Amino acid sequence: MTDATTGQPTPPTLRDPAHRVSPRARVMWQLGAGVEGLVLVVIAGVLALTMDAVRWWMVLALAVAVVAYVAVVPQWRYLVHRWEATDTAVYTQTGWWARERRIAPMSRIQTVDYAEGAIARLFGLASVTVTTASAAGAISIDGLDRQVARRLVDDLTRQADAVEGDAT
Amino acid sequence: MLLVHPVREVLRFLPVLLGLFLAGSAGGGPPLHYLGVLIPIVLGVLRYLTTRFRVADGRVELRRGLLNRHVLSTPRDRVRTVDLTSTLIHRALGLTTVRIGTGTGGSDDGDLDLDGLPVERARELRRELLREATGQDGLGPDDAPVPPAPPAPPLVVFDPSWLRFAPFTGAGLIVAAAVFGGLSQLLNVTDSWERVDVSSVPVPSELAVVGIVLVLLLLVIPISVIGYLITNWGFRLTRSDGSWHVSRGLLTTRETSLDEDRVAGVSLGEGLALRLARGRQLTAIVTGVDRKAPGSAGLVPPAPGRLVLDVAARVMESEAPITGRLRDHGPAARRRRWTRAVVPTSVPPLLALVVSLTGGPWWPLLPTLALLGLACVVAADRASGLGHALVEGYVVARSGSLARRREALAVGDVIGWNLRATWFQRRLGLTTLVATTAGGRGAVTLVDVPVGDAVTLADAALPGLAEQFLATSETGTPQGRPAH
Repeated sequence: MTDATTGQPTPPTLRDPAHRVSPRARVMWQLGAGVEGLVLVVIAGVLALTMDAVRWWMVLALAVAVVAYVAVVPQWRYLVHRWEATDTAVYTQTGWWARERRIAPMSRIQTVDYAEGAIARLFGLASVTVTTASAAGAISIDGLDRQVARRLVDDLTRQADAVEGDAT
Repeated sequence: MLLVHPVREVLRFLPVLLGLFLAGSAGGGPPLHYLGVLIPIVLGVLRYLTTRFRVADGRVELRRGLLNRHVLSTPRDRVRTVDLTSTLIHRALGLTTVRIGTGTGGSDDGDLDLDGLPVERARELRRELLREATGQDGLGPDDAPVPPAPPAPPLVVFDPSWLRFAPFTGAGLIVAAAVFGGLSQLLNVTDSWERVDVSSVPVPSELAVVGIVLVLLLLVIPISVIGYLITNWGFRLTRSDGSWHVSRGLLTTRETSLDEDRVAGVSLGEGLALRLARGRQLTAIVTGVDRKAPGSAGLVPPAPGRLVLDVAARVMESEAPITGRLRDHGPAARRRRWTRAVVPTSVPPLLALVVSLTGGPWWPLLPTLALLGLACVVAADRASGLGHALVEGYVVARSGSLARRREALAVGDVIGWNLRATWFQRRLGLTTLVATTAGGRGAVTLVDVPVGDAVTLADAALPGLAEQFLATSETGTPQGRPAH
């Protein structure tokens, strides 16, 4: 663990959070992105039928972009999305191109939200959002298995309760 | 007190009233415009008559409404900010509006507005509320007159010579843009544009265009000075009753009080132009305000740098966070400032070059090259300004150029870390570290820090938090954890 050229100890880095989200989240994200992309392509198709300025090759390019997005991004996102809750903190990693890691101390947690979106329910998934008093500090974990999410909410609520103060 | 609401309603409906009068005189129907005057006045009187407030049993209560009764109530110890705002109408009548900020919930209902209080009564109320909030003198009888505190000498008082900083702030440009926008609107409304016979206007030469631009730029100066004057005239900063009090304003006066315990740090504004004029400005990072609130409050407007640094040192009880040396972000971060500024701005000159080589006019090259030059200046300044530190219990970050800020946030008020890195940043081993705080959008951002520095800082600032997520050695044994 030392840099060969300088002999200095390598600087500390953060490891990935311990748990992946549910593998079914990939399919959920693919479906969501696919539906949105389809809507875009249909709109573009209608425009191409009615307006001279919009050519069919543009619609085709858009369709290719949508297919590429659906094929690549949900998979990439699945590889990045991770979460972990310890006794003292919640730690998550989200994103794909831009990767964001967030750490919130348990003592600063204000609310714990559990949500099942329409598509998420099809896959038995749920999302958990942990808010702190900061607008920039909300932590959201998407695509959790429903049982895991419920257990996480219970744990977080219990641990956040155990800490005194008004979390500011 | 009675007059504020009715007068204000009439003013608010003035455009409608004018329209009604015009329509009335055109159509010849008289009853319409009498109604138009009457309704606002009646509404104003009703609002006044149905609004009551009281401070009792450790709570502030505000009830209002005739048909829809609305009661707002908040515990006194939740009071975090108290603002007194007096518009010209208020000042003519010796009244003021008290806004009590509580930081509860995420909606506008968290704030209590008491409109139309006599100024003296309002100041007394503010003393009562803030004393309660800071926990001094807990349970005094509510009706007992509060002994007026000896007026503290102001730390900073407005000096007309500060007006020289007005043209060096972005605010001046914004005000000027608003004025020009308003003027062109006016011309549109009065159809002046259409009366101008376009064919009679000679096509301006290049010289004339340059002249017009220069005149417009010169106009920005008086406009920004006037804007500065209107906002900051009579500025005073005092510290008493465990709070910072800022009062200012030429026409509408504002007195803002910040509970000292809620000031988590400061943000020193040192934009490029302001720095050249040896000026600085200061805002406080305030915690415990509403999540949607800006999370900051102005402490000192653009003023001489030395004076602003003194105030900052007093607020933080230490000068080191605001004057101390910062840790450099390294060559990769500096290079990134250059690529981000120069790559996009070098496209227009290249296009202009192609245009001129293919027989087009050559003059577009000049402004586009000037833009590129400006981008280079900004990039160099951004690169040299980048830095961070952890000193005297403050997380300090500096970034930016035209709007450079040096921010210091007390470690105890950091309530989480965000580390964000795009693919480009990861490739260079950089990350953007955000220290979030319980103050609305308030957060201190360390742009493009080497990952090691970011993690070291986060770990040192809040021991035990990031530590449990540190990467162990490649072999995965916990003993292999690097010393830090």
